[in-house]
Amino acid sequence: MSSSLIPPESLARVGEILAGPVTVRIDRRESQRYAYAVGDLNPIYFDDASAKAAGYRTLTIPPLFITHALVAPEPASKLRTDGLYEDSASVALEVARMMFGGEEWDFLEPVCVGDEITGTTRLLDLDQKEGKKGPFVRLVRETTFTNQDGQVVARSRQIGIAR
Amino acid sequence: MTNYPKMATIKVGDELPAMHKRAEEAELFLYSAASFNPHRIHYDRAYATYEGHEDIVVHGPLQGSWLTQFITDWAGPNARLLSVQWQNRASAFVAEELYFSGSVISVDQVNGSVELEIYERKEDGSVLMPAKATVKLEQS
Repeated sequence: MSSSLIPPESLARVGEILAGPVTVRIDRRESQRYAYAVGDLNPIYFDDASAKAAGYRTLTIPPLFITHALVAPEPASKLRTDGLYEDSASVALEVARMMFGGEEWDFLEPVCVGDEITGTTRLLDLDQKEGKKGPFVRLVRETTFTNQDGQVVARSRQIGIAR
Repeated sequence: MTNYPKMATIKVGDELPAMHKRAEEAELFLYSAASFNPHRIHYDRAYATYEGHEDIVVHGPLQGSWLTQFITDWAGPNARLLSVQWQNRASAFVAEELYFSGSVISVDQVNGSVELEIYERKEDGSVLMPAKATVKLEQS
């Protein structure tokens, strides 16, 4: 039986809001920069007539861009050595390293340029497991995205693996 | 006029056309900028290797966005991506050739959607990212 990698005060945070709510207007140029950076030149992101012909109110966005649209501007003085920002939303764990484990997304309503999107992130799940290489922690953050009409447009669950 | 898959004719086992991606330093830099991601492992080779990586690391969410592109390029503009999920099993590095393949694993005619199983692999065939997705296709 290995010792716990999860301090009790972190475990107590399951269900808590880690970030947000933050509201952002979806910007055409930011969305298109993202699409170009991915190499995804789908006309529904660039050409209003193509987007409307496909049933959208106006230009839609690359599905995962919604996460990046919500990133808040921060000063460079808050950068750590690894280049990440000091994260007030981080959950304290007795581990050396946090890795990106994967994501799960539900897309419930279309998101278009000009929409006012609100994102709220919760600590959905935190548990310790036994792996081949020893104990690890699985941390799940769930973000709910709603639009200006109060509709939930998407949900994402980001899975972090820490050991 | 491109021929996109239709609910009326889709069947289990139908394959998505293969897609391949390769991101050089400039592409990774542009993705860091467009996603407001200052993480040093995505642009600083010396730092990435200091952290134990083989080379500059391809962003996980960039591979996620390649995955959604792989699906939407096949499904066409009138289809709707309903859900997607993936696991990042290993890291991809700058200038590596990465290959996406996928197929239909179930067809739900009641809801008008299909379930896909997708893999992103390295050149040696090892799986970087197994994924699943559901997509609502055009009826006919």
